Amino acid sequence: MTIDPETLMAYADGELDPIAARRVENAIAADPALATQVDRHRELAASLRAAFDPVVAAPVPAAVETMLGESAKVVPLASKSARRERSFWMGAVAASLVAGLFAGPLLFPGDSGGFAMRDGRAIARGDIAKALGTQLASAQAPDASIRVGVTFRDGAQRWCRTFEAGATGGIACVQGKNWRIERLYGGIAGQGGTYRQAGSPAAAMMTDAQAMMVGEPLDAAAEKAARDAGWR
Amino acid sequence: MAFEDELLGHLPRLRRFAHALARSAADADDLLQASVERALVRRGQWEPGTRLDSWMYRLMRNLWIDTVRAETRRSETFVAPEAGDSVGTAGGQEMAVELGNIAQAMRTLPPEQREAVALVVIEGFAYKEAAEILDIPMGTLTSRLVRGREALMTRLGEAA
Repeated sequence: MTIDPETLMAYADGELDPIAARRVENAIAADPALATQVDRHRELAASLRAAFDPVVAAPVPAAVETMLGESAKVVPLASKSARRERSFWMGAVAASLVAGLFAGPLLFPGDSGGFAMRDGRAIARGDIAKALGTQLASAQAPDASIRVGVTFRDGAQRWCRTFEAGATGGIACVQGKNWRIERLYGGIAGQGGTYRQAGSPAAAMMTDAQAMMVGEPLDAAAEKAARDAGWR
Repeated sequence: MAFEDELLGHLPRLRRFAHALARSAADADDLLQASVERALVRRGQWEPGTRLDSWMYRLMRNLWIDTVRAETRRSETFVAPEAGDSVGTAGGQEMAVELGNIAQAMRTLPPEQREAVALVVIEGFAYKEAAEILDIPMGTLTSRLVRGREALMTRLGEAA
């Protein structure tokens, strides 16, 4: 009987059920070349692991560990001193809005429909408002032109969400019936390809979101529940 | 456990996976950093109760494959196995040994074989789990895996 290469490999990896394994063992008993091939599979596997295992033992690059550490400690800090953070925050928002809005035509080529001014504040409208109101981060089309990131409550118990639209990212929070734009970030990398580096606008957006956040960001189920309840 | 703490525990293995995929150690650490950053941005998409490590492997793999595709489009930099041979042996035997014959050989595999070998052989995922991470049928996984491993055996056998 013949044993195909996939089955022989699966046998070498211990992936076969007992009956299929027995069948391979019978074939091996009759054909030493099969036994040699099983050995070669196991030897190769052992050398591959030996070649890459030192990476596991080596210390993780400091930059990556720092990024995680910063992210982990921002949340409890924000809830402890939410009030103080908030007053600091409002100043920062005002400053960033000025920068963000003046840069608006550059950031949104061919589309000024995503934002409007109301009572001196920027609010989302059009596609961005629609995405913020309805789109679930856990169920976005891979090619969605606007992507929602994390959803959370801020110190004022408002629902807030991060979003990306082309090269622009932002944080918006529910204010009455609108999503008020709290922050905008230019130069957010698009979906494909390029790696994001620490210190990039995307990283800054995340750090800021975590500073605003009280408690944990929503998981998929809580996000859906909040949306279905109309962001109340 | 906080998301960050759990992720931290998976970092050494994720880094090994990055090294098995990427073309150089520097690229591998960039890939690791980019993956962690994307994971923090998209943490809302991970469902607690499911395996964070599988989610991270998938995220890293997708980030890597996007980059491979972008590079392939930009310029046909992807070195065919035959061309890879001559790159490695054109007066550079010493260098090849320093980089590690095995890591070197992995880098000559086509991406779809490399990721299959990395997940199953190096990371120790069961075939079924690896197929789920890559979002491909089991049959496709095993055929890529067997081709990748046979190519490596041939290459390393020649080098010995």
